Amino acid sequence: MITLQTPIDHREIKRVRVGDQIEIDGTIYCGRDAVLPKLVRLIESQDLDRIGVDLEGAVIFHTAVSIAGIGPTSSNKVEIEGSIPALSRAGVKIHLGKGALGPKTVEELKKYHSVFAVTPPVSALFSDKMVSQRVAAFREEGMEALYQVEVKGFPAIIAIADGETIFESHRRS
Amino acid sequence: MLSRKKVEDAARDCLVKAGTTFRPDQLRAYRNAVKAEKNESAKWVLERILENAVIAGKNTLPLCDDTGTPHVFLDIGMNVGLPRDWLSAIYNGVIQGLRIMPGRPMGVKGNPIERVEQSRGLFSDPGKVLPAPVIVKPMKGDKLKITVLLLGGGPELRAKTYRVFHQRSIDVVLGEAAHWASSEAKNLGCTPCVPAIGIGRTHVEASALMLEAMKEGNLNRQNRWEKKVTELINATKVGPLGLGGGITALGTFVKIGPQRASGFRVVSMRPGCCFEPRRASVVLV
Repeated sequence: MITLQTPIDHREIKRVRVGDQIEIDGTIYCGRDAVLPKLVRLIESQDLDRIGVDLEGAVIFHTAVSIAGIGPTSSNKVEIEGSIPALSRAGVKIHLGKGALGPKTVEELKKYHSVFAVTPPVSALFSDKMVSQRVAAFREEGMEALYQVEVKGFPAIIAIADGETIFESHRRS
Repeated sequence: MLSRKKVEDAARDCLVKAGTTFRPDQLRAYRNAVKAEKNESAKWVLERILENAVIAGKNTLPLCDDTGTPHVFLDIGMNVGLPRDWLSAIYNGVIQGLRIMPGRPMGVKGNPIERVEQSRGLFSDPGKVLPAPVIVKPMKGDKLKITVLLLGGGPELRAKTYRVFHQRSIDVVLGEAAHWASSEAKNLGCTPCVPAIGIGRTHVEASALMLEAMKEGNLNRQNRWEKKVTELINATKVGPLGLGGGITALGTFVKIGPQRASGFRVVSMRPGCCFEPRRASVVLV
């Protein structure tokens, strides 16, 4: 088990391999279909500072945040997978969600030294791992706003790293 | 005569139970899967799902933050006495259940176009997640059976209803449905799945039969055809959460309705997620 503290140093992320079990401590961002394209537009217009969001060493969990808890949505939806290259370029080190991603995304993750981790949608268990939460930006999106959530011992498995993907390697084996 | 309150309370309690607990057949299937699974990552996922079920049941918390769209299935005894406003009692029970559980507040505001484009935001009230149209079937006797199912979004992304040219072979029809499920399993993410399959004459009927399969299916009681579909999906080695391993599907539920003279059948396949079917029933007398 590897414990990673946010913000995650690029040397730390270089250590992890596909199949590693990790636990994340610290502050993570939560966002999904509605806000990730908005974040990408701010990155492209170099306006990210305007909303006070720093993505260097960040974890982005593909989830809504609501009174029902948190849990990964499918990361291979167009708005989410499409945001991964730009967010990685802006400094995101772990994209956390579920579902296989395409070969182009695997290459983009490698290019920017970023990884994809997956976790089951175990919302009741996650409630034990959440310390606090607050809206970071795009409040108008409700449960799909960008949230900052403080977590302790948040569990996940590395699924894509350094050009390798667990979704293909197990089929080869 | 059943009272309105009894009907409303039963629908409310069913919804909360459906969203926060595993049934005995699910618990048993997962415990067996943990024992059988050789892949360490896959085993880790299965153990987390079981741990989650224990916490959810103990603290009455949603199993998954996607608390789903409520679907209500009613088996109505031909001699049961229902209150005059029984359908509104069911709807009110669902709304109350969503507020208590709590459901995820994901009802979309606005006119039809605004709802499609999600341009006016979301309701903050979980009770605004309206149930899908209620399915009603008659049965003998003087009882009312209420079943509430919660259908999550992930499997909806991967479900399919389409015609299959049957060639007078159940193997052909179920083989095609198994192929659909197998193709979608790796993208579903929340495996192990429990596919539900309805075979009917029209798209509406096949979808209703698929829901009925979810309502009646039991992971401890699988017929040979259900076992065969499960085996075909497990041969993909997609595994829990797509991480590889032997348990891609925990089981399969198949419901076959009336058929018509024709070379095709309409098949509805929904690859239920790792918590599904989230369902609970109560029988009122």
